[in-house]
Amino acid sequence: MKTPRATRKSGNHEAGGLRRHYPDPGGVGPSVGDLGGTERTSKGTIRIRMYRVGFGDCFLVSLPAQGGDGAHGTYHVLVDCGVHAKGNIGKIGQVVDDIATASGGKLAVVIATHAHQDHISGFGDKFSSFDIGEVWLPWTWDPNNPQAVQLQKRQAALVAQLALCSDAMAGDPSALNAVLNMTGNEHAISLLKSGFGVNAKVRYLKAGDKLTAGDVAKDPSAISVPGLSVSILGPPQSEEFLAKMDSPPGEHYLQLSFGMVEAVEGDKPFSEKWVLSKEDPELSSVKLTPEHEKELQDKVKSPLSALAFAIDQARNNESIVALLTFRGQYLLFPGDAEYGNWRWWLDNLQPEETLPQVTFFKVAHHGSVNATPVDALEKMSQGKFAAMVSTQSTPWPSIPCVPLMARLNTKTQQRVVRSDWLKLEGAPDPSPRAEPPLPPELPAGFVKGDFWIDYSIML
Amino acid sequence: MDSLRNAPSSRPLKVYAFDPTRGRALGNFMTVDVPYENLKPGPVGSLLEVVDYDATTDSYYRPVNLDDPKVLLWNGLDPNESDPQFHQQMVYAVASETIRHFKSALGRPIRWRSSFAGSGSPSGGAKLRIFPHAMREANAYYDPSLKALLFGYFCASETDPGLNLPGQTVFTCLSHDIIAHETTHALIDGQRDLFDEPTSPDAPAFHEAFADIVALFQHFSYEEALLDVIHRTGGRIYRTEVEAESQPASGGPVIQAELSEENPLVGLAKQFGDAMGMRKALRSALGTPPNSKALEKLFEPHTRGSILVAAVFDAFFSIYVRRTADLMRIARVGGALLSSGDLHPDLANRLAKEAAKAAGHFLNICIRAIDYMPVVDITFGDFLRAIITADNDLVEDDRYGYRVALIDAFRSRGIVPEGVSSYSEESLLWRPPEAPAGSRLPVCSGLRFDASLSGGAEESEEQRKQYWEQVKQNKEILTRFSNENRGMLGLSADSNVTSLPPRFNKVHRVGPDGGLRLDVVCQLIQQTDVPIDPGDPASPKFKFVGGTTLILDQHGAIRYAIEKPLGDTKDDAKNERLKRQRDYFVRRAAGFGMAAYSGVTALYERGMNFGMIHRGY
Repeated sequence: MKTPRATRKSGNHEAGGLRRHYPDPGGVGPSVGDLGGTERTSKGTIRIRMYRVGFGDCFLVSLPAQGGDGAHGTYHVLVDCGVHAKGNIGKIGQVVDDIATASGGKLAVVIATHAHQDHISGFGDKFSSFDIGEVWLPWTWDPNNPQAVQLQKRQAALVAQLALCSDAMAGDPSALNAVLNMTGNEHAISLLKSGFGVNAKVRYLKAGDKLTAGDVAKDPSAISVPGLSVSILGPPQSEEFLAKMDSPPGEHYLQLSFGMVEAVEGDKPFSEKWVLSKEDPELSSVKLTPEHEKELQDKVKSPLSALAFAIDQARNNESIVALLTFRGQYLLFPGDAEYGNWRWWLDNLQPEETLPQVTFFKVAHHGSVNATPVDALEKMSQGKFAAMVSTQSTPWPSIPCVPLMARLNTKTQQRVVRSDWLKLEGAPDPSPRAEPPLPPELPAGFVKGDFWIDYSIML
Repeated sequence: MDSLRNAPSSRPLKVYAFDPTRGRALGNFMTVDVPYENLKPGPVGSLLEVVDYDATTDSYYRPVNLDDPKVLLWNGLDPNESDPQFHQQMVYAVASETIRHFKSALGRPIRWRSSFAGSGSPSGGAKLRIFPHAMREANAYYDPSLKALLFGYFCASETDPGLNLPGQTVFTCLSHDIIAHETTHALIDGQRDLFDEPTSPDAPAFHEAFADIVALFQHFSYEEALLDVIHRTGGRIYRTEVEAESQPASGGPVIQAELSEENPLVGLAKQFGDAMGMRKALRSALGTPPNSKALEKLFEPHTRGSILVAAVFDAFFSIYVRRTADLMRIARVGGALLSSGDLHPDLANRLAKEAAKAAGHFLNICIRAIDYMPVVDITFGDFLRAIITADNDLVEDDRYGYRVALIDAFRSRGIVPEGVSSYSEESLLWRPPEAPAGSRLPVCSGLRFDASLSGGAEESEEQRKQYWEQVKQNKEILTRFSNENRGMLGLSADSNVTSLPPRFNKVHRVGPDGGLRLDVVCQLIQQTDVPIDPGDPASPKFKFVGGTTLILDQHGAIRYAIEKPLGDTKDDAKNERLKRQRDYFVRRAAGFGMAAYSGVTALYERGMNFGMIHRGY
């Protein structure tokens, strides 16, 4: 594999200038070859653009058409577009504009891995002026799947209730941020489910699904990008997995009644005749001190934050995990899948056949500790793959996880790149202890743009 | 009158044998004879303190006075879901029953966790608080820091409530199994320091399993319920279903009496499971054939624990069958049709006696094994070795083959004890340390135990003082002995290691000659700070715990040394136990949603949190 090492910065500005008038009336977007200017090869280049959105994910994968010289165009796959309100660096609008420019307003596939703000908040009305072929969503959103409907209904009610109880979690900003991430996504979700109102084909995907380039008119599992095939590894649809999703360990104490979650501050379970005032002498043998009462109150309240984290984890585990195979390259996009999602396909979908092949890894869940199982990372071949992690340590300082990043650095042979290496005004820099340390120069194959980093794979 | 009559030995109190959903079904309204003690309203006794404070609504419910003549005349309050005073009575009664079982198995007074670990001071005798309506939450747990049992109440599922009314309030404190289970957690915690360190998948699973085992065996001491099940299973009490009271005449069942039911003896906390709409998922001790590979896949504490529960009950039921085979043969000779549900009442009574007796034996065996467990990092295999050794100490002649049955049941479930060469009884027994060539094992002499003193609440001030003075001296002797013999006892001499003061108990057993023997069980615990990441000394630290359970005879000679050494903490490659613990931490952290945002270290610091494990019981 040759690595393009041009001074890309000017090239990108140029590209932006060239493509001001989208969408391309002919429907053929600009090719990666066009954009790069200097890096044209006979077989073409896969380009993966990681935007620095803040705390969030937005990746644009550009695949050269057959022939690869750019003459036949380029296909664009957008994986997520969102930012967390507390980790927002104010770039998401420009990011959407750049997606339009870079793709010529034509996206073959839009994947929304899961329903968290930091992955979908950017999917706004602007996308209705795009030409979008397909929208891929996890099966857990499928309105025609009763299990999925039930799951969403319960989760939505719990999240609504949690949002109401935010006072009780005031001491736990980490939990509040998790709740925030789950709220206010309705508009983006309805846009995605409607195929942005531009007749995009909406697919609900589950582990085990396989999509291959073919005749879209005849074969429902066919996709229109020549040379691309996709294995969906998650989310699974197994009973065991569902049980975990449907009842995250904390759910039981907020019960649903008629679709609404019962208030935590409920009625007393006994009639008033059994209730004593705190001064009643009958209490003399059992009365607690006010401090003990307070201690107990705090004890029984704290589970709210545990519930917030549990639902948050359940949502992450709804992530579509997609392995894109394109002319010998294996690109793994696991969304924010956490341990439960990974575990299922590591146990059930022959990971020893796929993981060693991986040539590009989008690090799951911004590099958090539970999002890349050790045995999965160890199965990937050392030195064979590059990795990108869209991350920053605001609002959660423990992300990304230092030992994981260090190990990734070894496994990729120093080809893991963080989005927060891009210096942007008003955006937090990585901490001095961060792993891997900021190198003087990006590794081979990676190029900085205005607010993105490109990784190119020469085919 | 007080001077004329002795205090009664027991106080009858009514409880649900299972939980309210079984209503007045045979045996569910039951009277238990709780050891008598003076009670203040609460009830507040010498070991338990029921405080009906509801932290969710910040209110108190009227405490019951069990000495009120109107209550006494009725043998306590009648079972009633809407009367909080009955709830208070029930938690007190079932917790007291559970304590009684422990007391008789261990042969010593019960103490709860002391506020300061290992101090051995009189404050360790303080009461366990029970909050029967602590919170609106479908959960119940033991909280070591509050030294309290917290029971929640919640609304049953609207869509799948089982036997409950949709949306009905369900009280976890009315489930016999939940009370016994949580009380057991507290009892174990009082026996051991740091025993609940989550060091491997087995450790939390063991605690859950053990608490379930105690709750389940208690079912078999309830005669009426037991008789009913014997009748309806033709004596095969291990079946998961009991037959209908009346067989459907033709086609399907038409009336209630024609429905078969789950066997209440081998199911746990049914109302809770029903109310949550998770009937099938709830732990069921039996009902799955043994699978020697199951332990490799199941890591959730309750699911993993159910393998251990199943192993113990497999052995118990095998013994029951063995003990009753002769009765069954006699009955068949007499012309009885044992396949049908109707047994002769005399036969049923005899079967019930045998079942209750065997259940009592097994409960004893399991509880006594606690003294024979390593100080930390417990595994299912350690439990097997502890059971076998403890029972071998107590009953040398294993006439009914209890130990063989247990070994077979554990083996068929793939529970492999470490460091033994075979599943034979001899190799499973714990061993004393090896004396260096040419010398003899050291003897810890000078220990004194006055059999008339227990330090209990019933003793005079003077006697208690004497007792604690003796404890202090013994502690000094044991500290010296363990310091002098570190190497031989598997203890570390590293200067970075902290040794906790020894904790010890006396244990009685019957020697081979039938004479009473007194042993001393001593826990020697050491800990040291180890970085989480072996490759990075600057990474956050966790406490790595090791040590030895030492069992001495009355002369101070070492009978067993059950070791979990700290070993070389600098190098994982040389320390399998440390490596395993680190791996487990990583796996465990991954299961917690909050780990992603709060960092893994926050989880290590929390220790084992029964509240977290118990979400959803």
